[in-house]
Formats: sequence, C-alpha cells, structure tokens
Amino acid sequence: MRDCWITGGATFDLAPAGWKAIAGGASPDEQERRLLAIAAQALDVALRPAAPTTLKRRPPLPRLALPILPARFRPLLRAALKHAADARRKARVAALVASRGFVLHPMDWMPSDQNSPDVYAPWVDWQASMNGERLAPQEKLTAENWDEFYPAARRLVLADMRRTDPTSARMLIEAKASGEPAEVRLALVELMRFGLSAEDVPFLKSLSADRSGKVRELAGRLLARLGEHVRPSDGGPDDPVAELAAFITEGRSGFIRRRTIYTPAKLKSQVQEQRRAELFEICNLVDVTERFNTTEAEFIGGWQFGADNKADILIARMVAASGSEAALTQMADTLIAEGGKPALFVLHLMPRLDSRRKRVLIRLILKETTYLGMINLAEGIDVDWLEWDDLTNGQALAALRSAAGGKDDAARRGLDDVLETIGFLATATTAAKLIDDMVAAGVPPAAPSLGLLRLNASLAGPGSNT
Amino acid sequence: MEFDLKTIEALAPDQASLSAASKLTKRTNWPRLEKHEQQALIWGECQGSGSNPYRVVVDTGDHGYKCTCPSRKFPCKHTLALMWIAATAPASFAAANTTPEWVNDWLGRRRKTTPQPAQPVPGAEAKRIGEASQADESTAIEDIAALERREAAQRKRAESTREAVSAGLDELDQWIADQLRLGLSGFVDASSDRCRRIAARLVDMKAAALAGRIDEIPSRLMALRSEERSDAAIRELGKLVLLAKAWRSEPDDPELKRLVSTSEPREQVLSSPDARQVESLWEVLGEKIESRRDGLVSHSTWLLDLKSATPQFAVLLDFFPASAGRRSNAFAPGDRFNARLVFYPSRLPLRALVVERMGEVVPGAWPDFAFGTAKDPLATHASHQDAAPWIADCPLMLPPGAILLDDRGTAWWQAEDEPQGIALPIAGAVDQTLLGLDLAATAALWNGARLELLAAQSEFGRLDLA
Repeated sequence: MRDCWITGGATFDLAPAGWKAIAGGASPDEQERRLLAIAAQALDVALRPAAPTTLKRRPPLPRLALPILPARFRPLLRAALKHAADARRKARVAALVASRGFVLHPMDWMPSDQNSPDVYAPWVDWQASMNGERLAPQEKLTAENWDEFYPAARRLVLADMRRTDPTSARMLIEAKASGEPAEVRLALVELMRFGLSAEDVPFLKSLSADRSGKVRELAGRLLARLGEHVRPSDGGPDDPVAELAAFITEGRSGFIRRRTIYTPAKLKSQVQEQRRAELFEICNLVDVTERFNTTEAEFIGGWQFGADNKADILIARMVAASGSEAALTQMADTLIAEGGKPALFVLHLMPRLDSRRKRVLIRLILKETTYLGMINLAEGIDVDWLEWDDLTNGQALAALRSAAGGKDDAARRGLDDVLETIGFLATATTAAKLIDDMVAAGVPPAAPSLGLLRLNASLAGPGSNT
Repeated sequence: MEFDLKTIEALAPDQASLSAASKLTKRTNWPRLEKHEQQALIWGECQGSGSNPYRVVVDTGDHGYKCTCPSRKFPCKHTLALMWIAATAPASFAAANTTPEWVNDWLGRRRKTTPQPAQPVPGAEAKRIGEASQADESTAIEDIAALERREAAQRKRAESTREAVSAGLDELDQWIADQLRLGLSGFVDASSDRCRRIAARLVDMKAAALAGRIDEIPSRLMALRSEERSDAAIRELGKLVLLAKAWRSEPDDPELKRLVSTSEPREQVLSSPDARQVESLWEVLGEKIESRRDGLVSHSTWLLDLKSATPQFAVLLDFFPASAGRRSNAFAPGDRFNARLVFYPSRLPLRALVVERMGEVVPGAWPDFAFGTAKDPLATHASHQDAAPWIADCPLMLPPGAILLDDRGTAWWQAEDEPQGIALPIAGAVDQTLLGLDLAATAALWNGARLELLAAQSEFGRLDLA
C-alpha cells in the first residue's frame, strides 16, 4: 500500500480485510482517505523504531576527584564562562573553581586540551577516546602496543612518562619516532623538554641527521639547553653565530673591577634589523657565548639592557628557547632587578619560569602600571594568591580606578581584560574588595567584566560548599 | 530605588501605556519581584496576557530596561509597571544575592550608556500618572438589549464560521485525495508549495489553526532522512483526515475547535467549569521557541508535575508575530515553583495557563517515577494516540537509558538492558558529553519520528537538554 501511495494510485484492493471493512462503502476518494487514516494510526501505534545494529555506547564519563560545583554557584559560573572569550580564558575559570575544591558540571564546560587543571585529566582522556583515539590509560605504552595508540593519546602517556620515568620514555621515542611522519616526530621530540637531562644528549645528538629540518632545529635547541653545541662554529662568513656576533659589540666597563659588557650594535637599516632578528631565532645561546669565549652567566650579566629594546626582547627569546635552566633564572632575575620596561621582557621567559618568579613578575607589572595590560599575556600562572596589598603597593589600583572612571573606551576595554585576569589570580578577599572598589570608581555594578571576580568572591573557600 | 513617578511619566511613550501599566501594578500580577542593590537592578516576572510570564529587568542606575513581551512600545507597560512598583512600593522587592541567568544574559548583551535624565518623547502628548490611575475606574453600564444584540451577533458569527470551516475541510479532503492520486513521492518533493496553497485556502475559510499546522508539514518532513519522508507524509496526512472527521462529528468540541479554527480566549478557559485545575509543584523542563511559516513564533514551555506519582506534563503555549523580534526565554530550565494551573479542556489536557503562582522552590531531583516493568518506551505515546489520534507531539518520561551513536553519527536514546531492539532517534545533534552519561530519567517529546530531548536526571544531577 505504501509503495502504491508513493507512486500514486488506489490502494483499496491491496488493503487487509479488516481495513477494507472500515474503509469500504464510500466513494473511491473517501476509501483512500480512510485507509490513509488507519495507516497513519498504525504507524504511530503499532510500529516501533528498530535500533540500528551499529549503535555504540561510549564509555561512561568518569567521576573526578573533586565534587561538582554546587548548583547555587552555577549562574555566576555561567556568567563568567560566557564572558571568557576563548578556550584559554575558560580554562582559567575552571582552574579558579578547582583551586576552591570544585569541578565544573560537564554540561557547563569540558576540558579541550592539556592546559586544563590536572583534576580534569580523566575527562581529557575520555574526550580523547571520544575522538576515536584508542586510549587505554590502564595499559602501559610499550614498543609492542605503540600502534594501538593514536598520536594524541601517545603524547599524553609519553608526557607523563617523561615526568616519572624519563629514561623509558626516551628509549620508546628513540625506538619508534623514526618510523613516524615528520609532524608526529616533531611532537614526540618536543616531549623531551620534560625532565630534560644529560642522559638525553646522545639521542638528541643522533637527531642531527634527521630528515626534517624542524626536528634537527628542535633537537639542537634542547641540546643547547644542556650546554651542548650542535654545530662547531667555523667563524667563516656563512656561520650564523659569527654573523650574529657582529651585531653585538664587546667592550669593557668599570674603573676598579674591569668587566666585559655586551651592547647591541647600532643598526643602519631595516634589512639589518630583520636579519638580526632571524639570527637570534636560529642561533643558540650556548654557541653565541662560546663565540665570545665566555659563559652563559657572564654573557647575560654583561648584557646592557635598556640600550635597544628590540635586542633585549630578542635575547630574552633566545634564552627562553635554548638557554639552560640556570641561564633562564639568571635572565629573569636580572630583568626584574633592572626594572622599567626591560623587566616586562620576562614575559618571554614565562613558559619556563617557576611559579615564584611568575608571581614576582605579575607583582612587578602591577606595580609599574605602565604596561598593566601585559598581565593578560602571562601564561601558566598559579591561581588564587594575589593579595590586596599587591594591588595597593604600587599604582595598580589607582590606574584601575582612573580607567573605570574615565570615558576612554579603549581604556575601559583594557580594564575589562585586566579585571578578568585579576579575577583569576586574586584571593576571595581581594576579589570582594576589588569589586566594591571598582563599583565605587564607576564600573557598572552588573558589568560582565566583574563576573569572574564575583565568582571568585563567592567561592570563599572550604566553607562555600556548605 | 531611584524612581519617582515623574521619571516614569517622562519615560512612558504615551498615556495609553501608563494606563495599561497602572492595571499591572497589582502585586498579584507579579509572582516574582526581586532586587540586587549592589548591582542597581530590579527585576520581576509579570503574568501578562500570554501563557508564559514576561520577564522584566530595569537598571535603576541608568534606567536601562528589557522586557520579554512582544510589544513595540518602549518601554512597554510591564517595564513601566515594574518601575511604578519600585517607586511606590519598594518593599515589594525581595533582596537577592545573585542575579538570575536571564538577567546576566541581558547584562552581557547590552551596551552601557551614560545615565540620561528621562526626557519625554518629542511629539508625544502630555502623560499623567494621576489620569492613568483613574482611567479604569469608570465602567460603562450596558443595557440588556445591547447585550442581547451582541450575543445574537456572536451566535451568527459562530454559525458562519462553522459553515466556512466545514467547506474548508471539504476542500482539504479533496486536496488529500489529490495528493494520494498524484503520489506521495511528488508530494514530498513539492510539499512546500502544495501545503502553502491549501493552507492559504484554509485561512480564507476560517480554519486558521489547521492552516498553521499544514504550513509546518514541509519542515517536519525535511527534518527527516529522505527514506523516512513517505511514512511521515502518510502519518501527517492521515492525521489531518482523522482531525477533519472528528471536527465534523463534534464541531463544538473545544479541543477540536482549537485545533481547526481558533483558540478560546484566556478568560474563557479561566472561567470554564470544564477546565481542570491542578495545584502542584512544577518544574520547568525546557522551552521551545520556533519560527513558523505563517509568520508567527510559537513559544512553548514544558512543565513537569513533581507531586504526581506518574509523569504528568503541562505546556504553556504562546504565539506572537516574528516581526516583534527575538524573544528571551520566559523561564530558566530547572526553575521550580508552586502554582495552580488551569488546563484547556481536551481529551488529554496538556496546554495550560498559570492561574496563580505561589513562590519559588529550590531545585532538586525528580520524584522516583515507577517506570514498572513495561519495556515499551512509547507506551504513553500509543495510548495518547488512541485517545486523540491527531496529537502531533507527545511528552514522555523515559526510563533509565543512555544516548548512543550509530555509524552515521545520529544520536539514539535506548533504555538500559533493552531486550526488544527498540531505540528512539533523536532530533538534531546532541552534546558529545551526553554520550558518557547514564540517564536515570529523560523527559522528551516524541513526534512520531524523532525525539526532542527536554531534560534528564543523571548522576551529575539535572541536565538541561532543550
């Protein structure tokens, strides 16, 4: 009957006897309508949709170690999440909530990458398995089951292994990386930065023959962090280290204790500036210091910060990419001690800095106020530590008040971003005080930019779950 | 509170708005009135002429406002009434610690302006609060003869409507027979034009409700996969045949009149002795706001009776012109309130109006519905179809189950330990997180081919799925 109706035509003769009994005794049109009504009812009442054989049930979403944020905080949380413009900022909201002992409801937010708070690791794994990545967290990654893991899942496991058992992880990467495409190889070698030690040198040196230029460059940087030279400096005109050295003037300073100083050479053209930037990108700190026949510590100690801001940024980036841990901390401490604008170049070192130095940098930015907006660029900072004194020590609060009370739209937008970042860094008490202060200074009490501060202030601590 | 009556007078677009607002200042019109002093906000829910309450928020600082009603007057009578209550009875507003999500939504969207002193609209005639307060006190006394004349005219209009509808249904019958003769395959392909034509005829013949339903058939068909559309067409057209037959046998039946021509006015339902009234605790399951082809937007709010041992639902249904612009939701999913509802008389009462709201209740789990051992998830749907075969959407409370994906990526709901291979396909895409959750109970609408999820209970608490 269905086929007949689909193509068009009378179906009465095809109908079951019972249906005919109901539909019969009327005009042909009416008979068809009656049969249609019975068929419609039969479809609704008698038939049930059959489950396809291919239906698959996902593994259940694991429970996390912390309780879910109580329902009464969810409106504040949703407002804060809504205002957070990108994944990084949303992850910050989750980090703040985790620091107060709660996790978010999975329908409000799910971690999208490795930058989520550790407590969400089971959900990250679960998501990876959702994306078709065969992740077996209970199963140890070995050379034998290597192919059963997709690249992202392998990276997760290997990053973990590098932290707990760096030798085994290195041996696995050593054994299997060469069989992977260049992109995957690069990501695997990148994992060597976790728990990097002298034991990794032979493997990293072996990568100097890798087919991919990017892998060779990355291995070189990692070796440089360990104080190893990748290529012997031949001093010839084509040697980039020699070329870079020509952009740096070595001199002497001090009357009683003579010491060597390094000053960026004056540049004559845009082309030179561009070339210098390229050279800083490709050269490693350890090679440059060898060229000047000095140590990393003496080179950084002798660098004349403030003479050329662009050169200062370039050297900060070079140290971040290829400097040893000692060079990195020395650079950060030197820049911070220098104060003023150079101090803010520490931002380039941020990803490798320890949390104490990161806090020092944030305090410095707040104190200086000139570049207040830079705190938004800081990454990987701890949550929940900024005290009221940190805002009142310098001019930070005054600057925020003036932006709040002013009519400059750009300044207000900048203020919104800074308030959001402080909402993440501040303790609950600081957050509550800052809300009052900003409202008094002219920020609309209901402004979305105060959202994270409000959530922070309301999650005052362990008592907030009562 | 920073309102005085002069400000309200100045803000009002005309005297009529003030008069209308004065009638809404009774406390009984406002089941919810709240304020947040720190954020300088007042908000409330006004039970207006629609089934869904209007949500009004006013910034007392700069007199910014937002109301969910479709009025084209700014501010509308609801906003003016809220301000009026704030000016004359500020104690009516309960202090709230947090702002509801719909208020946050508005705050996030709005552009903050510098407070301006309220200025009368140029060209608007003078408006007076005093006049508005007195306006409704004079009621004309009708003489009996006029009343009889009016009733006679009403009877005559009803009779002519019935004749027109009857003729319209004759045309519909012929049209259905034509579709069957020409073939449903052609009907599915050209459903948009063909349905529009017969719908326009039915509007002319005063069967506006039926016309609206037919206008929606193409979009209901197109929401399905092509191989499902013929069955769906049989169901849709078959139901029209049944509805037309039912109306012919009982043209005065209020349910059938509502489905074919037009709904009875709100006042008639409120005063009808046949209308069932239920006082209970209700939870907002979810809302559906859909633009229809006839230029109307239908706004339905699904409620669950939490005091009933078996799942009982209610729907608050409003229509407003799409040209009135985007409308915010009237309730937040998960809201709970004590209220007395009156149901529109019908075989399976679902559509309701709120007679009285008696206050909000803290959210929690659903009652433990005894799902029994019956394994047919569509048993309720089948029994509804037996009682009223013209019903399109049937609310269901599904037993413990989960959402699964087939190999095409379509989501299906399936009961746990389903022995008969039944699974219900879900309309649209689902949040991936949902695939990892065990659903203890799921509220959804079944339209004969697809399940529309409203809300569910899980180990992570309530899930908003609408």
